[in-house]
Amino acid sequence: MVVILSEPLNIAVIIKLEPDFSEGNVSYNPNGTLNRAETKNTLGPHSAIAAHAAFFGRVMYDAKVSIGTMGPPIADLALKQAQQISDAGELHLYSDRLFAGADTLGTAEVLRVGIGKMQGKMDIVFSGHRASDGETGQTGPQTAWKLGFTFLGNVISYSVDLETRMIRAKRLISLQGSSNVIEEVEAPLPVFISIDPTYKSSYNTVSQRLAFQKYQKEATQRADNYKDYFKIFNAKELGVDETLVGLPGSPTIVYKVERVPKSTATRQSEVIDGSDPEQIRKVVAKMKEALAAMVIK
Amino acid sequence: MVEKYRHLYVVIEHEDGEFLPVSLEMIGEARRLIDDFNVKYSSNEKVVAVILGYDIQNLSKQLIEYGADAVIYADNPELKDVRNTIYTKVIGQIAQDTKSLGEIEPEYASDVKKPRYMFFAADSIGRHLSSTVLVELESGLASDINKLVIEDIEMSHQQKTGGTKETYAKTLEMYRPDFSGFLWTTILCLDNRNPAFKRDYHPQSCSIIPGVFEPLKSDSSREGKIIEFTPTIDPQDLKVKILSRQIIKSEVDFETPKTIVSFGRGIKDDPESNIKLIENLAKQLNAEVGVTLPMSKKPYQISQILDSKYMIPDRVIGTSGHKTSAMLYIAAGVSGAMQHVWGMKNSGFVVAINPDEDAPIKDECDVFIKGRMEDIIPLLIEEIKKQIQIVEA
Repeated sequence: MVVILSEPLNIAVIIKLEPDFSEGNVSYNPNGTLNRAETKNTLGPHSAIAAHAAFFGRVMYDAKVSIGTMGPPIADLALKQAQQISDAGELHLYSDRLFAGADTLGTAEVLRVGIGKMQGKMDIVFSGHRASDGETGQTGPQTAWKLGFTFLGNVISYSVDLETRMIRAKRLISLQGSSNVIEEVEAPLPVFISIDPTYKSSYNTVSQRLAFQKYQKEATQRADNYKDYFKIFNAKELGVDETLVGLPGSPTIVYKVERVPKSTATRQSEVIDGSDPEQIRKVVAKMKEALAAMVIK
Repeated sequence: MVEKYRHLYVVIEHEDGEFLPVSLEMIGEARRLIDDFNVKYSSNEKVVAVILGYDIQNLSKQLIEYGADAVIYADNPELKDVRNTIYTKVIGQIAQDTKSLGEIEPEYASDVKKPRYMFFAADSIGRHLSSTVLVELESGLASDINKLVIEDIEMSHQQKTGGTKETYAKTLEMYRPDFSGFLWTTILCLDNRNPAFKRDYHPQSCSIIPGVFEPLKSDSSREGKIIEFTPTIDPQDLKVKILSRQIIKSEVDFETPKTIVSFGRGIKDDPESNIKLIENLAKQLNAEVGVTLPMSKKPYQISQILDSKYMIPDRVIGTSGHKTSAMLYIAAGVSGAMQHVWGMKNSGFVVAINPDEDAPIKDECDVFIKGRMEDIIPLLIEEIKKQIQIVEA
């Protein structure tokens, strides 16, 4: 174990309750769109990865972890799930009808104020890469900018020097039409990290694994009694500026949602009966032809 | 009255002295939009490329040739690599720099405050940069856009207009496909005209999916203004040090193989065995395996080894993943959502396997094998073994 003489590390995680896309829980309309009424909700998968990254800080640096989310009252479920992963000692739900309908800017404002209400001055704030339903990936960096924290995106691993209060992180940058790059950066705390989907914590030494087990056990105990750690805040309790949150604080609106028009058929397909071996033989012959024709070209 | 907002600013990305393709695609689309805009509104607004970096003067010139009316560039050693904080600050400064706006159009110099519209790339850099820049500029942002229209929109909105009917002229309709690829959501960024909380929200901004729009051909006869912007650099904004940059190769290769076999929700009856079937089919054809976007969200309980190998974003074919022009594309249990079709439509010969003849993929393939993949893939494998000898590349 690391002997810690310096200031303890404070970590916050912002998470989201999302539709559960796993089979058996997700429901699709006949036209292929998500049936939200029938689909269950759960801690978003990217939020879960962010919680794992926070737990890494708990194990390695004895960090204190706080979790915040903006959502409806049932979002306490996501907080409990994230506590089970991260061993958080503080769970915040920011919930008010005034927050409803916010775009990412209006959401980031609530999260900024909420993080300020957490115990301790935050050193690292984690968010997931993006939500599975909204998929904008904007809320994290926008919260970071509002907090005035250095933003590091697509982080795949990190380590902290508690003495110098510096963080080192590896980032995975993928750009279309160019090679992927792993960039290693160093920055003073505080930082805001949006965690890459490929992030995995690794615990290599015996002492790390022992700490892992200890905190995991604690996480289970805490999550069993998650209400003891749980606080809910409405707009008034948070003290947000009501013109900066919810619909008034959202520059963008959803103007319309439509079914993507069926494009005109780009190919005329031949429909064949898959149970007829003779037909399958012909298809494979065509596949062979296609591959050969292209080679000559 | 002269408006406070003019022009479309496009934030350019480049790597090792080359433009990323999306940069030129954005310029192409911006050119088309602004040309139509200027005809429709008898106006003379501009496509303005914004480029940051070190030693980039040559790139700046090329942006004019690709269709920009003006280029604003910031050339500084501290801008050599993209770092979110300093890039956000400098782009924010450029967007609010009335001096460069004045150089673009001296006659409006005293009136124009900010760009009307702003484009970023929807990639690892642009997604984050657009998010932070738009907080800095206190305006709205739509992400992952694949269609853009400029219209005058008349609407009555409880929040935006306080319930009265208003016309929002020159509004950018930003279309984004949802994760399923079947729905298109139109996002608007609108000023609050509601007297209770009036606020201007400009620029109207979005990030644009790479590969969607067509770039223009470079034309050396095009002319435009190239403006150097000298950024104010605060040492506080340089706290991130880049220690190393290492190029890595993805394990998934959609470039070399001649054939791609992809799968979607049609594996659902027995995901584990069906993925193994697809794996085997791919092996026979020396093919790479692709997936549809919903697969990358790990919807099934399957063995860890298949899960971590296949149900990953890196294998997604479509607007939020890769685009392929494979010689042979086999879509097994793929319904054919728009966002997937975009990624595979340039393939040579397309075979779909699907029990549902109404699936949109039927209009995107050359042969539609009607049936369940469980029944059909084994037959295909047998026949391939008889007919096709694949020589490893």
